[in-house]
Amino acid sequence: MLTRDTKTTLQRWYVPTVATLIGIAYLVAGVMGDDLSFGVIGLVLMLATAGAMVLAGRRSETVKGLLDRQDERIRGIDNDASMFAGMVLVVAVIAGFIIEIARGRDGEPYALLGAIAGVSYVGALVVLRLRR
Amino acid sequence: MKNAVRTLRTQASISQAALATAMGVSRQTINSIETGRYLPSLPLAMALARYFESTVEEIFDVDP
Repeated sequence: MLTRDTKTTLQRWYVPTVATLIGIAYLVAGVMGDDLSFGVIGLVLMLATAGAMVLAGRRSETVKGLLDRQDERIRGIDNDASMFAGMVLVVAVIAGFIIEIARGRDGEPYALLGAIAGVSYVGALVVLRLRR
Repeated sequence: MKNAVRTLRTQASISQAALATAMGVSRQTINSIETGRYLPSLPLAMALARYFESTVEEIFDVDP
């Protein structure tokens, strides 16, 4: 069984690890798509982001809270900010879909993105309703 | 919602940072609670009450 300190340490490395994995995915995609410079730049940018978050987490309580998820207020702020970003994204997808239709096209890829967002929302609603 | 966290903390001669460490939150969160900008969760409110050997009702005042 993990202690609270161990869990905190693991959680603190979660975001930098995900950023690094995304960077590696960029590199693999760049190599596969014969665009090595994209892959290398993508990896370097994501490693820099991960490093910056780890360093900033030592100086900033907010970044530390975002990384280790221990502070309930910062978790709430993160949830609200994520929800706001999600709403902006949905509005952008709907706007893109309408513009594509107005141009006489089929609305892709915005139609698919909108469908994914809608299904995800309903799925989350059902799961969260059962859990709470 | 008004609260007595700052009063209790200063009476106990503890810094915001020390209280934050004891509660497992950031110093900013303690400051936000004291200034009334942030309403803590029930577990945190109860932890604060236990820390100051008081009750949630005595620390947090629902009346405007």
